[in-house]
Amino acid sequence: MDAILQVDGLTKHYPDFMLDHVSFSIPKGAIMGLIGENGAGKSTTIKAILDLIRKEEGTVTFWGQELRSDAKQLKEEIGVVFDGVNFYETLTPEQIGKISNSAYTQWDPPVYQDYLKRFQLPARKEIKTFSKGMKMKLCIAIALSHHPKLLILDEATSGLDPVMRDDILEVFLDFVQDENHSILMSSHITTDLEKIADYITFIHHGKVLFCKPKDELRYQYGIIRCGSAAFDAIDKTEILACRKSDYQWDVLVADKEKAKRKYKNTVVDDASIDDILLLYVKGESVS
Amino acid sequence: MKSLIQKDLYNIGHNMKAMALLLLVFAVILIPFSGPQTYVIACTVLCSIMITTTFSFDDQCKWNKYAMVMPISKKDLVGGKFIVLLIFCLVGVVSGFLIGLAGGVITHKLSFQADGILTLLLTSLAGLAIAEIMGSISIPLVFKFGAEKARMLLLVSVLIPMALFYGVFWLIRTLGGTTEDQAVLILLYSAPVVAILCNIAMYGISLRIFSNQEL
Repeated sequence: MDAILQVDGLTKHYPDFMLDHVSFSIPKGAIMGLIGENGAGKSTTIKAILDLIRKEEGTVTFWGQELRSDAKQLKEEIGVVFDGVNFYETLTPEQIGKISNSAYTQWDPPVYQDYLKRFQLPARKEIKTFSKGMKMKLCIAIALSHHPKLLILDEATSGLDPVMRDDILEVFLDFVQDENHSILMSSHITTDLEKIADYITFIHHGKVLFCKPKDELRYQYGIIRCGSAAFDAIDKTEILACRKSDYQWDVLVADKEKAKRKYKNTVVDDASIDDILLLYVKGESVS
Repeated sequence: MKSLIQKDLYNIGHNMKAMALLLLVFAVILIPFSGPQTYVIACTVLCSIMITTTFSFDDQCKWNKYAMVMPISKKDLVGGKFIVLLIFCLVGVVSGFLIGLAGGVITHKLSFQADGILTLLLTSLAGLAIAEIMGSISIPLVFKFGAEKARMLLLVSVLIPMALFYGVFWLIRTLGGTTEDQAVLILLYSAPVVAILCNIAMYGISLRIFSNQEL
């Protein structure tokens, strides 16, 4: 696998939280979704990847190179969008363009102008007058206008309405049309990731629970819905996570076809990423 | 570096009208009663304080975190603040000198002759040095404590230069010198050197503080 970003054993301790040997990699041309509940460690992982916090263990390499604060050329290749605009609210998109033009050697003013037009963002209006959606579009325009090869998005679609999110997801899909481009996108809106991600990395309590192709999760994972008697009959080594509600058990398994054949007196549903996340977070692991 | 300076100037540009008005109000109050010399120092110091305001804008939008994912080094970010401080001080001293000169002549507090202008010019240079010293001391404080908490501590950046100058006066007196023209001359000549040394030291401290920060 030709990895754009390789994360190996990333570890960071806080008094009440630990990022515990997080590892994953993003191949060229792929979108990696980073999911997990609030406080699971998604943003901490991204900060550690971007060298904004000191990691205690582990390595992070972009195109095989470690990122240092003075690695200017490497940073030219990375576009980052956090969950809000990081420019003061009295600035205008035009002024932000000038600032970014001075910062990035690869800054492309016509591309930036095109994005402003495409997103219908007024160039000379202060950003404090923008809606949340417009602000996010501006951040994405900035991130894309210096021709990055890797986009890192930390909750970039949170707080946006479905129409706005769909517009933005289209831009991301356009971006990865170039097979040298990749995206790392953290989000707790799993439906967005179901639409566009190629791989899903699930972080829970600071640990990576799995890093798998999205299609494997969608087409192979399943949820067995059954009563207590049927639950007792299930081979516990096959259970990834389970949860008891008032009248039934929801059991997450990695091979739904096998489960359908094996446990004929149960209902086996497809598992959405939301279902998987919920079962892992709120359920219990048996095996 | 250019992008950082541009960003601060655009950010502060919004406050320029209010600042210009404030300088005019100070001119009306200070020049007739305390003279143009006091005004030019006050004007320069007032402009130097704007550096704290730029940090406040940065804090509000979490700029430092974003800057560190741009092709900007920590040295650039810290160095940029000292250059912006110098720009603010220069704007302050030039406006203070021009307004002070005009106000001094109008209010007959200054003679429009070579010696009067030279005195104001020398006072302006001393004011520039004082503002640079105070401003540069404030920068590591703001890096360490953030713009809001550091506002309380900015008194320190006023007290340190005052203590420094008082110390020089005390030294001159102890050594048997007079604290009249001789002391003023020593202060005037040494102030730019002190300001440069102070900036270098404060840059080092600020870089150390910022390098150890997690964003």
